[in-house]
Amino acid sequence: MRFVVSTIYMFLFLSALVFAHGNETHVMGTVTKVEDGSIVVKTKEGDKTVMVMSTTKFVKGTATVTQKDVRVGDRVVIHAMPMGDMLHATEVKIGTVTAAQHQH
Amino acid sequence: MTKKLVLIAVLVVVLIPWIVLGAIAHSGMSARIKPAAWEIWTATRLRSLAIPREQKMQKNPFSANDSLLKEAREHFADHCASCHANDGSGHTALGQGLSPQAPDMRLPATQSKSDRELYSIIHNGIRFSGMPAWGTDGKDNDSWKLVLFIRHLPQLTADEIQDMEKYNPKSDTERAEEQEEEDFLRGKSDPTPGNQ
Repeated sequence: MRFVVSTIYMFLFLSALVFAHGNETHVMGTVTKVEDGSIVVKTKEGDKTVMVMSTTKFVKGTATVTQKDVRVGDRVVIHAMPMGDMLHATEVKIGTVTAAQHQH
Repeated sequence: MTKKLVLIAVLVVVLIPWIVLGAIAHSGMSARIKPAAWEIWTATRLRSLAIPREQKMQKNPFSANDSLLKEAREHFADHCASCHANDGSGHTALGQGLSPQAPDMRLPATQSKSDRELYSIIHNGIRFSGMPAWGTDGKDNDSWKLVLFIRHLPQLTADEIQDMEKYNPKSDTERAEEQEEEDFLRGKSDPTPGNQ
């Protein structure tokens, strides 16, 4: 009986036969604006706005930090997932030197 | 009684498959579509049926200690984290792109399963999902040790996660990208490079 039930379930479950891969984008540049829920980064191609989620991880050096530690002028590398026209950050790495310090 | 059986047979053999196939034809097979409640229910039942009842309560032959947890942690980082993430959250590009998505294994839906159920999922995989069968036939000690690590996930520390990053699989291109990012963050390259 269990075999029969399993076979029927297996047949019904065919619609879940799928596989996919991700498409993460890396945004590197200097922060020009920090707002609740987003960070604007100046890159070689122009300004990019990246949305921040509750699950976004912030790292500075080896320390885990928060969005409050992101400041205008900071160098950042943001790993983000494109969702529609928006970029949603999964991880924000903050540089240990700012653009201003680098220029001096 | 016979009429009732015929009705049930028609329902099972014709009507339900017809409805399901109609739904598939209507919505397609894209992984972007969130699995319907009936798919999740069916998958969960199938997974449960795949393990004989008498085996379900089998305990892990290994007990957690620092050495075994370290071994399993490194194994998880190398073999599992690409989909499940080092912290078991499933928040990776691969894990979120699968259908069904990789679960957050820190939550009760995973943690409430018996040791043997977790072992079977790792060892035998799950059909029609992205979960492959790991290990070889017969007793699979590595999978039992991974069960210890899955139990440890809710208590995983930031230091442990950071240590795991050394064992995550990387291609030469990824290593080069990481180096470029590190150089940039430490001020060794142009402040406004392009996107990768």
